[in-house]
Amino acid sequence: MFSATLLGQVLVNGLSLSAIYVLVALGFTLLFGIMRVVNFSHGAFAMLGGYALFLLYGKWHLPYLLAVPLAALVVAALAMVLEYLVFRWFYQKMMQSMIGLLGLNMALVYSAVLLWDVYERSIPPAITTLLSVGGVLLPADRLTVVAIALVALGAFWFFMTRTRFGLAMRAASQDVETAEAQGMDTAALYRMAFFIAIFLTALAGGLYAQTYSLSPFMGDRPLIVAFVVVILGGMGSIPGAALGGVLLGFSESFLSTFYGSAVSSFASFGIVILLLIFRPWGLLGTKEAMRA
Amino acid sequence: MTNPMVLKSHAAHAPARGTRAGWLAAGIAAALVVLVWPLVWSNDFALTLGILIAINLIGAVSLHLIVRTGHVSLAHAGFMGLGGYATALSLTRLHLVFPFDLLAGAAVPALVALVIGPLLLRLAGKYFVLVTFMVGEVIRLTFIQWSSLTGGANGLFGVTVPLPGLDSLLHFYYFALAFCVLCVGLVVRILTSELGRAIDSIREAQRVSECSGVPAIRMKVVMFVIASGLVGVAGGLQVYFLKYIDPSAFTIVQSLNFLIMNVIGGMDHLAGAVIGTVFIVVLPQALEQYVNIQQILFGLILVAVMVGMPGGLMDAVKRLRALSRRRSGEPQ
Repeated sequence: MFSATLLGQVLVNGLSLSAIYVLVALGFTLLFGIMRVVNFSHGAFAMLGGYALFLLYGKWHLPYLLAVPLAALVVAALAMVLEYLVFRWFYQKMMQSMIGLLGLNMALVYSAVLLWDVYERSIPPAITTLLSVGGVLLPADRLTVVAIALVALGAFWFFMTRTRFGLAMRAASQDVETAEAQGMDTAALYRMAFFIAIFLTALAGGLYAQTYSLSPFMGDRPLIVAFVVVILGGMGSIPGAALGGVLLGFSESFLSTFYGSAVSSFASFGIVILLLIFRPWGLLGTKEAMRA
Repeated sequence: MTNPMVLKSHAAHAPARGTRAGWLAAGIAAALVVLVWPLVWSNDFALTLGILIAINLIGAVSLHLIVRTGHVSLAHAGFMGLGGYATALSLTRLHLVFPFDLLAGAAVPALVALVIGPLLLRLAGKYFVLVTFMVGEVIRLTFIQWSSLTGGANGLFGVTVPLPGLDSLLHFYYFALAFCVLCVGLVVRILTSELGRAIDSIREAQRVSECSGVPAIRMKVVMFVIASGLVGVAGGLQVYFLKYIDPSAFTIVQSLNFLIMNVIGGMDHLAGAVIGTVFIVVLPQALEQYVNIQQILFGLILVAVMVGMPGGLMDAVKRLRALSRRRSGEPQ
């Protein structure tokens, strides 16, 4: 049961799942942490990222390493229109944002049905070779996913911790009013955070669609994952989203390989419910956030 | 929320004599319309719509009971499913006769709520939303996985109508309406009683109301249990109506629908839930002639309502009324 090849594959699957989950959850937690928006249209943006990659790479055959970031960039740029029309009305309004963005999700998903019909498509894999590491065969495309995600996460980490904009964003997520009082232009900050969040999500959506399959309804799963990961790590906590994503990715890969996907779902939901009851601010969230 | 707002919303719950007469007249008129229209103009489509409104109204109004305590539950469709499966199973497996199978449908979700309520309701608002979301998913997964009992993803067939004669849509409409009136009546009775004022005070200021001797957690649990029992009845009625049950009807989408019904109408008033239900059930049908963009339009309307009328339709009405009152120079 626990052969080296199998374990190696579980490990690589876990790594690539974790990478995608962390990307999805980071966008979600960024929007919640700074703007207090519960983005129920998160999955729709992941789905759009999938279609963008399908068009750029699958149809127009751009080089893979160019198509992946470009697809996410296109989605994020187009999403800025939605930021102006929809999102900015919901900043700092949790309840309205939930309902309104649910409506937006519906509109986006069914627009996709109208544009690209409901059938599942697949994005061709970039590499099909198997790497042999010490006698263990590993699929190279999964490792590519991990590498791309790591680059994106590294850039994100650098931006958040080493630049003035990142500092401003962290300040705003702690206390918007004080940040404004220090002279920060929160409207611009919100736009920037929104752009980054959608970029990460669309990137994750493209990789997800390539690993599994592409359809207008593929966003449901990333949305639930974002929810679970963000709760696991703590709402609005960025390191929490990273930890939560890794935990969920690995446990899902492990449990679904050895015990089936039903056990895996029950276990992850059960653990999250228990965690919420006894430590509702998440693994890395702070207790102060309870008051918000 | 500032203090004057609180006072104003309380004033709205204890209206002056004049407006009370107005409510009474509106209620009688509404009752007449609801009772008589199928006799005057009856077609299958309208009757089906009426039945769906009655069933969904029970769900929305029971969720309103939880919302009034200051919590939002996303497990409501899950509890509806528990009620539906309990009704279907007690009918097909235990061969219970009519009122008892529906009673089982109310009892099972209420019992589950009684067990998990005291644990969950200690949580602050936003964590309660998240944990109920998870609970709803676990309930749905259980329906799918426990296939020896629930028939898995295919669901259960072979449910029969509870009473002879209910095969006719017209009769079923009145049957559902009766339960709807009973459930809504119960909720109205709770909300207008001392209990209702207690839960309003818990929502506005939990610590203060605790200091005034309101057992906040216990009160919330009682409301949660009642609401879950009522939505179980809605689940049972739905099983009777569709004659089968499967897990796809009890996803997060349905829970969110109940929430949307409450928010679209306005969260602070029961009438909001009623308006919202009619809106949400009828609107997709009204958009049916644009069938391929129906869902898109529905989504966009939701966005527009939330952007333009954050307090819901009831709030918009209230604001309009305040505006006209100010015009005519009456004191507010």
